[in-house]
Amino acid sequence: MNWILTIVTFLPLIGVLAILLTNPPKRGSENLVKGIAVVTSAITFLGTLLILMRFDPGTPGLQLVDRFDWIPSWGIQYFLGVDGLSILMVLLTSFISMLAIASSWNAIKTQVKQFYIFCLLLETGMLGVFLAQDLFLFYIFWEFTLVPMYFLIGIWGGARRVYASIKFFLYTMAASLLMLLAILYMGINAGTFSLPDLIAGRAAFAGAQDLLFLGFFLAFAVKVPIFPFHSWLPDAHTEAPTAGSIILAGVLLKMGTYGLIRFNLPLFPEAAYRYAPAIAVLAIIGIIYGAIVSFAQKDVKKLVAYSSISHLGFVTLGIFSLNAAGIQGAILQGVNHGLSTGALFFLVGVLYEQTHTRDMSAYGGVWKIMPVFSVLSLIVVLSSMGLPGLNGFVGEFTILLGSMGAESLAPRPWIFTAFATTGVILAAVYLLWMFQRVFMGPAETKEVKGLRDMNRGELVIMLSFLLFIFWIGIAPSLYFHLMDSSVSALVSHLSSTLMALR
Amino acid sequence: MPSAVNINWYIALSSILFTIGVLGVLLRRNAIILFMSVELMLNSANLLFVAFARHLGQLDGQVLVFFVITVAAAEVAVGLALIVAIFRTKKSINIDEINLLKG
Amino acid sequence: MNTFNLAPLILILPVIGLLLNGLFGRRFVEANPANGERLTGWLASLMTIGAFLVSLSLFLSLLAHGFEPIIVPLFNWIDIPSADFLVNWAMQVDTLSVTMMLVVTGVGSLIHIYAIGYMHGDPDFSRFFTYLNLFIFFMLILVSGSSYLVMFVGWEGVGLCSYLLISFWWARLDKNGVPANANAGRKAMIMNRIGDFGVILAMILLFWTFGTLDYQAVFSGAVEMFEANHMVAFGGLSVPLPTVLTAVTALFLLGVTGKSAQIPLYTWLPDAMAGPTPVSALIHAATMVTAGVYLLVRSNVLYEIVRTSGATILGLISTPNLVAWVGALTAFFAALIAFSQNDIKKVLAYSTVSQLGFMVAAAGSGAYVAAMFHLVTHAFFKALLFLGSGSVIHGMEHGHHHLAHAGHGATHTDDDGFDPQDMRYMGGLRRRMPTTFIVYLIGSLALAGIIPLAGFWSKDEILLHDQTYATPIFIVLAIAALGTAFYVARQLIMVFFGKPRHAAAEHAAESPALMTTPLVVLAGLTVFGGLLNLPYLTRAMAEANHNHPAGIFLMLESWLEHSLASFELAEEGILALPRTPVYLSLLVAGISTALAVGGLLLGYLVYRGRPRTSSEPDRLARTPIWWWSVLPLNSLYMKGFVPLFNRFSVWLADKVDWAFWHDFVHDRVIRDIFVTGAEFSANVLDAQGVDGVVNGAGKTTQRLARGLRLTQTGYARTYALAVLLGAVGLLVYFLFMAG
Repeated sequence: MNWILTIVTFLPLIGVLAILLTNPPKRGSENLVKGIAVVTSAITFLGTLLILMRFDPGTPGLQLVDRFDWIPSWGIQYFLGVDGLSILMVLLTSFISMLAIASSWNAIKTQVKQFYIFCLLLETGMLGVFLAQDLFLFYIFWEFTLVPMYFLIGIWGGARRVYASIKFFLYTMAASLLMLLAILYMGINAGTFSLPDLIAGRAAFAGAQDLLFLGFFLAFAVKVPIFPFHSWLPDAHTEAPTAGSIILAGVLLKMGTYGLIRFNLPLFPEAAYRYAPAIAVLAIIGIIYGAIVSFAQKDVKKLVAYSSISHLGFVTLGIFSLNAAGIQGAILQGVNHGLSTGALFFLVGVLYEQTHTRDMSAYGGVWKIMPVFSVLSLIVVLSSMGLPGLNGFVGEFTILLGSMGAESLAPRPWIFTAFATTGVILAAVYLLWMFQRVFMGPAETKEVKGLRDMNRGELVIMLSFLLFIFWIGIAPSLYFHLMDSSVSALVSHLSSTLMALR
Repeated sequence: MPSAVNINWYIALSSILFTIGVLGVLLRRNAIILFMSVELMLNSANLLFVAFARHLGQLDGQVLVFFVITVAAAEVAVGLALIVAIFRTKKSINIDEINLLKG
Repeated sequence: MNTFNLAPLILILPVIGLLLNGLFGRRFVEANPANGERLTGWLASLMTIGAFLVSLSLFLSLLAHGFEPIIVPLFNWIDIPSADFLVNWAMQVDTLSVTMMLVVTGVGSLIHIYAIGYMHGDPDFSRFFTYLNLFIFFMLILVSGSSYLVMFVGWEGVGLCSYLLISFWWARLDKNGVPANANAGRKAMIMNRIGDFGVILAMILLFWTFGTLDYQAVFSGAVEMFEANHMVAFGGLSVPLPTVLTAVTALFLLGVTGKSAQIPLYTWLPDAMAGPTPVSALIHAATMVTAGVYLLVRSNVLYEIVRTSGATILGLISTPNLVAWVGALTAFFAALIAFSQNDIKKVLAYSTVSQLGFMVAAAGSGAYVAAMFHLVTHAFFKALLFLGSGSVIHGMEHGHHHLAHAGHGATHTDDDGFDPQDMRYMGGLRRRMPTTFIVYLIGSLALAGIIPLAGFWSKDEILLHDQTYATPIFIVLAIAALGTAFYVARQLIMVFFGKPRHAAAEHAAESPALMTTPLVVLAGLTVFGGLLNLPYLTRAMAEANHNHPAGIFLMLESWLEHSLASFELAEEGILALPRTPVYLSLLVAGISTALAVGGLLLGYLVYRGRPRTSSEPDRLARTPIWWWSVLPLNSLYMKGFVPLFNRFSVWLADKVDWAFWHDFVHDRVIRDIFVTGAEFSANVLDAQGVDGVVNGAGKTTQRLARGLRLTQTGYARTYALAVLLGAVGLLVYFLFMAG
């Protein structure tokens, strides 16, 4: 028992309690509420850094485990642990949550208390998802994240927020039910819900592996989202408040890709090999389709939303390369996408707060009015485009590298790689077009002329994004080392089943 | 050896007492009398317990009598309290007038 | 004592410059325009000059240390132990990279200084110099990286700078209200990205073949595997090495066509002239666009292995030959297109495309030194020409301003569509701008290939090589050389000779010394640049030296051959690289001089005194050659493919994704089926089925209760009787029934 994971996971709840104790009606207490939320999320971030310090990158297995029986008669345990597959996700979660909460300081004016309570609840849920090693516990956290997000979109969102929030909730909930069935089936057959035990005893449900794989896959595919399951995303992204969009893009989508790596690959390796080519095709369709569709968007948030589909296509392709380069690239690209797209949503939020429009034709010439903002935006756009030296390139290149050497895509993996690489071209097409429409050209409208440049707080938030954008771009080895041994254990687990298949 | 009274006498006495108690409960209207009749029934049972305990040479019956006496005492205490409470509101302890539960 | 440890300085200096200018430059300039401009401009220039000095010291160190390549490691970049993927940030200092460094920083310094004068008064002065330093930084990464991936960082980085600088004046709209500058920048970046697609795939192929992306390891691995006839295992298939390398080299070619503006991706370079003129000189003539040639020369071993093995693409053509043909055809067509241009910079842009074609053709046919030689001399004379054209434009604008201020010629000011870059409005400028005229003349003659200017020697070396080894390419290039001389003559006549065709040209003024000094330096380099690789005077001399360089002859060759591994391998008989004895062949030199002089004469005959007015149609406008000169690739892209893509994208987004998948499938099909089902259950199933059962049960219970409640009399006696009866009943049961 280490307790550190448990403490960090539930740390935001202390903030929730503190916020509940403040007096609601007074004006001054709003700043108190905001302060509590920001401090709580910052402490949580420090807590995850503490986890990082205690984390030993050389150990492939789970570390800092908190584990005891919860409902013994059903084999359900309270089981938290962290390893190379999740450590980056945990850090990303606390980092993005902190920035998202901080970024809402001025943006949220109604029902301030509830807003921050939901944000903090969401943070606990997300941390739980990345740390839970018992499938039952995982499922609880997984579904729990829906609730705060539902309210974040539904209360503080844009014009069509109710539609978007209900769609988001139902869509992801419905897919998750299939996963619940799969979890129950496995748990009942194997007599345990804890992941390491299930992996060791996966013979117990090997007969139903295809269906189980699909059950898990669908739940995760909707969350990622992988190509045909994406239509909740543009609604949710565009209608969500800035903080919601940042968290949604930065962390919630990663829960899907993380789930694929954490559960689908080790639990059903044979099925993973069997379905890898089909999923890779979906991933590549997603890459190209997302890029082309986002080119045609007029709403800047929608454009970023569709670009997420394209980026996460890369991540999915990396995962189903089923080799070390692909999976490591996928994990890192998940982080990269969280940073770049999170930052993009933040930047859009800064504009939206002042003009209250997301329509790109209402902008133009912003560079002239907001030079600092525009230069920082350019860097983020370039990072999203995969410019070498910034974070996006490292992930994309590693994924493409992995896909070219993928045994799972044999005999002609380079066809997959070649199609995926067109995403690099298309990313330039839609992102530069967006950049041109918003930032270049003469500043004509009154709204644009009246814009103010970033204030100090926004600058600090933006620079914290940029710190990691540059760091990962220039020296990503540290990040790869964190996950290396866990991924290599996973890959050898996978390839041993491949040997058995042959 | 004390005079061995036949067990049948005890049974007969006890039955008579019990029957008086039952008739009292069924026929009388005064709540106090009702209680006395209930006591009578309980004590007829006690008599029988003691008689059989003696007859069979076991102590179980005698022990049970103590329980019954205790319960009876408690019952009387609660019951009398209720009767007093009812009398305060109704100014009567005629149980035919206490029929609020009528369906 | 060597200075290799100083190598990182060439990267650090520009970074310092760009950080200082980027963070504080705007404040300096706004606080005090004159001094601020001087400060930021000279800061950026000094950083580049500093990088030039460091490159020079690296050059001297290499000279002193036997030309052996030195790797200067910085730190490790991508390291994935479980995938055996390791890329270091490291610099490779060898003769090839130092040559490029010298060109980049040398020409770059001159252009920086020129730009201080040229950009004077621009509101975004400091931004401009920030970008220039950024460009120098990325370009030096490109040429100094020790592995393909590091090279690619620079490769993409210079593309970014090109984008930023082409769309530098992004707020400007052209006459039709189109943001032409921003569009041109975007086009350049996207075209380059299409090329990058090839480079990325090629690098990945290289990694899975050799397990590394370091130049030295890749090349030595390639030679070893080639000698051993090694098969490469790929996704379950086994492929011979030359096949893999064919794919790699073909994909590199795609990158080259993007970056070095070759057919079919050249169309971005003419549009790139929308950027400020110093940028056109630096990025789109002297340095960045030659990156493709650098890549070809750097990868010489891979190309020569493919050439030696005889592996071909689909049995048609081997990749080195394909490279040569792409280059030759580009040289030819771009020269033709230059005929029909009226914009002074567009002529030079197509000329650049054409000259890059020469270099690519040279590299493709194995004349790597000649390609590099032409790269260097072209950097000199084309930078000179671009800066000269900038000076001309500056003069024309000055004349135009003068008119506007003087108040006369009001009809000529704004409403006549005057364009300071349009050659039809110029004419007779040689008297108004004498310095510019002389240096421009030198540059033009070098471009045309007139002996003894630099362009002659380098072009001659390419022609000599191809005349010996690839006659069809020689013929195409020779025709291109003729065309070059022709458009050079046309441009000279239209700009400098004849009578002014617009009042602005009459009042044009010479540019300030800050601008003309770099021009004079470049003109000097253009005159003497040929000395870098002077050929042997006779064939006998060349053969006497066994084709090896000696003394003042072939200095560049003797310098570069230390970086061109295929030269040594060819001598060992492993590779079949054709190597020409470089001498002043009377045949080739005669032909090329005849073509150059002939082209100039022809141009003179056609355009003497023409056009007389700015609206007179071109002399060739009705001839077939005019139509020939419009290679429709650009129209194909911009009018065919781009609208198609736009429409497809809108269709996919609006119809497929939104109307069909989002609205129809989710909102109509899934939601409506659900809602209909829900309504059916609510109103029909529930109200009459489930509800009926539930309500029925309730009513029955009520009815029953109504009867049963009569049993509750409320009399204690009744209950007591019931208890008694129950007790009696139980008694009877136990006594009689349960026996």
